[in-house]
Formats: sequence, structure tokens, C-alpha cells
Amino acid sequence: MPGYALQRLAQAIIVMMVISVMVFAGVHAVGNPIDVLISPDATQAIREQAIRAYGLDQPLWRQYLDFLGRLARGDFGRSFLYNMPVLDLIASRLPATLELTLAAVIGATALGVPLGIYAGYRPSSILSRAIMAASILGFSVPTFWIGLVLIFVFAVNLGWLPAGGRGATVSVLGVEWSFLTLDGLRHLLLPALNLSLFKFAMMVRLARAGTRELMLTDTIKFARAAGESEWTILSRHVLRLIAIPIVTVFGLEFGSTLAFAVVTETIFSWPGVGKLIIDSISSLDRPVMVAYLMLVALLFIVINLLVDLAYAALDPRLRAQHA
Amino acid sequence: MSPLLEARGLTTVFETRAGLLPAVRDVSFTVAAGEIVGLVGESGSGKSVTGFSLLGLIDPPGRIAAGSVRLDGEELIGLEQGRLRALRGRSIAMVFQDPSTTLNPLLTIGAQMRLALEAHGGRDASAMRARAIETLSQVGIADPAARLGAYPHQFSGGMRQRVAIAIALLNRPKLIVCDEPTTALDVSIQAQILSEMRDLARNIGTAMIWISHDLAVVSSIASRILVMYAGRVLETGPTRDVLSAPRHPYTQGLLDSLPAHATPGTALRQIPGSTPSLVDIGPGCAFAPRCARASEACASDPAESVAGNRRWRCHHPIAAVA
Ligand SMILES: Nc1ncnc2c1ncn2[C@@H]1O[C@H](COP(=O)(O)OP(=O)(O)OP(=O)(O)O)[C@@H](O)[C@H]1O
Ligand code: SF4
Ligand SMILES: [Mg+2]
Repeated sequence: MPGYALQRLAQAIIVMMVISVMVFAGVHAVGNPIDVLISPDATQAIREQAIRAYGLDQPLWRQYLDFLGRLARGDFGRSFLYNMPVLDLIASRLPATLELTLAAVIGATALGVPLGIYAGYRPSSILSRAIMAASILGFSVPTFWIGLVLIFVFAVNLGWLPAGGRGATVSVLGVEWSFLTLDGLRHLLLPALNLSLFKFAMMVRLARAGTRELMLTDTIKFARAAGESEWTILSRHVLRLIAIPIVTVFGLEFGSTLAFAVVTETIFSWPGVGKLIIDSISSLDRPVMVAYLMLVALLFIVINLLVDLAYAALDPRLRAQHA
Repeated sequence: MSPLLEARGLTTVFETRAGLLPAVRDVSFTVAAGEIVGLVGESGSGKSVTGFSLLGLIDPPGRIAAGSVRLDGEELIGLEQGRLRALRGRSIAMVFQDPSTTLNPLLTIGAQMRLALEAHGGRDASAMRARAIETLSQVGIADPAARLGAYPHQFSGGMRQRVAIAIALLNRPKLIVCDEPTTALDVSIQAQILSEMRDLARNIGTAMIWISHDLAVVSSIASRILVMYAGRVLETGPTRDVLSAPRHPYTQGLLDSLPAHATPGTALRQIPGSTPSLVDIGPGCAFAPRCARASEACASDPAESVAGNRRWRCHHPIAAVA
């Protein structure tokens, strides 16, 4: 086990190094921030002074090494645009995205998996056909379009729910959360629903396909031959046996949504990191872009690790391999 | 005394793309309490489908099209699902061919045994545990208390099949359908499990239907055998009688292909040809294309002949030995 942990750690460090080079080079290819930072009619002297101040006069490899050196000290630099430490900036936006993402992914899983199991268990029933139709919709209709329809119907026409923003928040340990207030929850509902439709569709598909396949196996037939009820078979056997692909998709969807909920956050003016990264790209706010992309890479490394740990928890055969 | 199990005219069909496939046709037999009946036939002859039909475990596109199955006098065909479920495992249980696919790989043996006990009213955890340990030791699992926490992959194939048999035994069923439970195992383990199961059935008084494609296996365990071909029972009777003096040419063919019956030094005589496709099975004797005794009469379905406790379906049966 310690060998395995060390191996994972070494892998993670290598991946992060490679990513840091790619991110650094990529961000430099996007454009020169000096054009954005300084007004076009600034004098040549001011221009050169600013370039020196931001370290942009150094060769690229030099800038990269400086960047690594600062990174090693936990310093991601300051945002050009907001003139505050990048980490503080991201930390102030992250809770909003985190709660939105969790609401969407957990909601989609909690609803999609049971419905998918049902659809796989009774594939020809009317309810199953309705579930599958909903999942096709979730797959094929673009997120921004559904977002606009949701706003139009529930916020503009019916006036039941707010069209944007986070609403009232409660501070817990210095972090603001919307989901702890009724008003916050009302603000959370539509964007979370918007984000969850695609994930819901995916969970339904996964659970349905796994269940259909399983129902024909000897494992299920044997459980039936022992007199186990259909409910026991679905809840104790099928749910566990289809859990691994579901955990995988859960992890990846959580990561990618946390990192790139841009469309939904923009439509619902949700003040999360998705909006931050879009703003930083359009204003060429390099430190924010770099730090953000590095954090996303780190996030995926952690998620992959957690998913692997979940596999081992779920499947004793995998536990045996790592032991 | 009425038999424990009585199947009459059991007919199970599958609706396939190629047409209606009659996997089990008009099968009738009985099993007495405590008796071991062997069901033998080549691959595809309908042995497993017969077993699943008895437990009501035929999934679509299959269905039981006709017939009756009475267990302890209660009709099982068309029985309401809840009642059928209550009978499965408790009155009639089944063990499958491949032990590597029957157990749930993600649950411990103990958890799976517990689910089987809970299905029949098991509530008390320590009583269930005691029963699980008792059954595991009955089927020859060493140190059963410790093995309850093990997962299926931690057992060898033979041990896994013993566990599956233990699960089938848990609720003390009156009848266990054993669908080739030793076929996937080594020959030596096969023989060992076979003799243990025979003793076990005798000790606890459970009746068994032992399914195998291997006539030698069946004859070593069963007191009576059914010879199946293309969904039909072609011959049935006490094992000793059927093996020493078969009436049906197909039974004779199976016997001739056994090593013990061949003249030493000569090649085993396999039955020529292969099993027919069930979709375009004609009205005549299904064995006719492979039968040396076939005549024009065999184009019509042979009716069942009865003599004492023996039955067969053939227009030109092999003469009885006086
Ligand atoms: N689910 C199914 N759908 C369609 N046909 C089926 C299905 N299950 C079984 N059959 C058909 O029923 C016939 C009998 O199959 P069965 O499994 O009972 O044979 P068997 O005697 O047990 O053979 P084996 O020794 O190979 O296990 C075969 O022709 C098979 O193709
Ligand atoms: S009925 Fe005819 S074809 Fe069929 S087994 Fe008897 S002799 Fe052979
Ligand atoms: Mg079979």
C-alpha cells in the first residue's frame, strides 16, 4: 500500500509539471496582457516600466522558472484586473460554484440512478419510455437554450423563482453559502436544474444499460432462485453491481462542472469561478488563468484518486490487487 | 402416496427472430421425496430450460406455453409471483452450472447467505449466522465461521460451487435442481462433490434433480434417469435398468460413447450428426436424421410406450432383454 501511494504521488507530480509547462506556454500564446493593461496612448517609457514591473521583459523560460519558484512558495501571483492575490480571488468565488455543482451532480444522480434502474428493469413499460424520452431531451437540447427557457418560464412568466444571482447567503467559517437560506435555495434551484439535465440523462443511461445487462445474468437468476424479492435484488445486488461506472461518471462530471460551469453561470449571473475564468481570458489576466488551470488539473488528479479509492471500496477484487 | 414433484406436459417456448423455438416439449416426470433423478442429454436438449421452468425462472422472450408442475400438490404454473417467490429457495431451490457467475462478486459469502435467509423470514442475526455456518460445514467448507467474511473470488471454483450449494440448502428445500454444478470443475473435484452430494441428500432427505450432459455422472448419483433430446424426454426409468438395457436408440448411442462401455483399444463411438435446430423441428421423431433404425414410420411422432416403471418414445425400440 505505501508503494502504491508513493507511485500515485510521483505520477501526480509529473502530471502537474507537464501541465504547468503547457498552461504557461498556452497562456502566453493567447495574447500579450500589456496591450490590455496599459492604455494605448501611454508613453513608451511608462510602457517599458510596466513591462519590467510585471517581469514580461524576461525570456519565457526565465518567466516560467520565476513562476515555478513563486508556486513552490504557494504564491500564485496577483490578478492584473482585480489587483488582489489570485488564490484569494478564486477562493472567494469557489463556494458559489461548489454548491451549484454539488446540487446539480447529486440531484442528477439521486434521481437519475433509480429511474435508470427502473427503466432497465421494466424496459417496455410506459414510465420507462417516458424516462428515456426525458433523457434524450437532456442529451440533445443545448444547455444555454434550456437555461433561457427555464428563466423565461419560471422567472419571467410564472414569476415563481428569481432569474439570477445567489440570493441571501449565510457565512459559515468565513465562507458564504446560499443553500442554507430559503432565498438562496430559490436562487440555486434553476441554475442547478439547468446544469443537472445533461448529467441526469447520462445517469439514466448508465443505470439503465447496467441494469438491463445484469438482469440476464446468472447472479440475478441465482438470487431469484433463492427466493429473494425483486426489491432486494434491485437494491442489494443491482445497485451495487452498477455502482462503478456511476461513481466514475459522478467524479468526472463533478470535476468538469466545477471547472467549467461557464454557460450556466453566465446565463444566471451566478458569481462563481466559471464567470471569473471567462472574464480573465477576455482581459488576458494571466495569473488568474494560470492559477485556475493549474488548480483544475490538481482537482482532476484528486478526483481520479478518490474515484480509484471508491472502486477499491466497492469491489473487493480491486482491493486485493492493491494490497 | 403422491410424488413430491409432478410435471405434466411441460412445454416452454422462446419467441426468437427465427421463429417460435420449442425448447421443452411435452415433458412429464415425477420426483419422489428424497429421490435423486438424473436429467441427461446433449447440449441444447433443454435440460436447463426444464430446470428453470420448474422454478418459474423463464425470462422473456421465453414462456411456459403449456403443462402443469405440482409441488407437494400445489400447482406452480401460473402461480402468483409473490407465492412463487416464497416457494423458491424454501420448497424448491436451484444450483447453476458455472460457479464463477452465480455468486455476487461484491458481497461476502455471509452477506449473500443472509439475504437468502432473510428472503424466508430470517430476522435474528445470530440464528442466521449459525445456520449459515452449519450449512457451509455440511458442504465441506473448512473453518466456516471465518469464511463468512470472505468474498467469492477468495474461493477456488470447487469451493465456490460448494458455497452456492450451501446457499441453495439454507432454507431446507424439499427439492434442489442441480444444473450441471460440477461440469465447470476439475474431474477429481467433480467426483468428490458428486459423492458428497449423494450422501448429503440422503442424510438430510432432500430430493434432487441432477442435470448433466454426462451419462456417467448421472448414473453415479441418480436412482432414476430421464434422457432428453431436442426438448423431449425420449426415455426414462430406473438408472440401472436403462443403462443395462436401453430401449431407445438415442440412449444406446449415449452409452456407446462412454469410455467404460467401449471395447478397450477401439475408438469411442460418437452418435453421428448433431442436435437439430429447434426452430424447424418437424412433426416426426427428432432423432431420425441420426438414427440407424429409422424407417418411414419415423416421419410421424412416436407415442410414448410404457412398460412397468419404464417409458420411451420410439417406433422401433430396442428389444427388451428377457
Ligand atoms: N433465453 C433464450 N432465448 C432463446 N433461446 C433459448 C434461451 N434459453 C435457451 N434457449 C434455447 O433452448 C434450447 C435448450 O437450451 P438449454 O439451455 O435448456 O439446453 P441444455 O440442455 O441445458 O444445454 P447445455 O448442456 O448446453 O447447458 C436451446 O436450443 C437454446 O438455444
Ligand atoms: S422413432 Fe425412429 S428415428 Fe426415432 S429413435 Fe425410434 S427408430 Fe430412431
Ligand atoms: Mg444447461
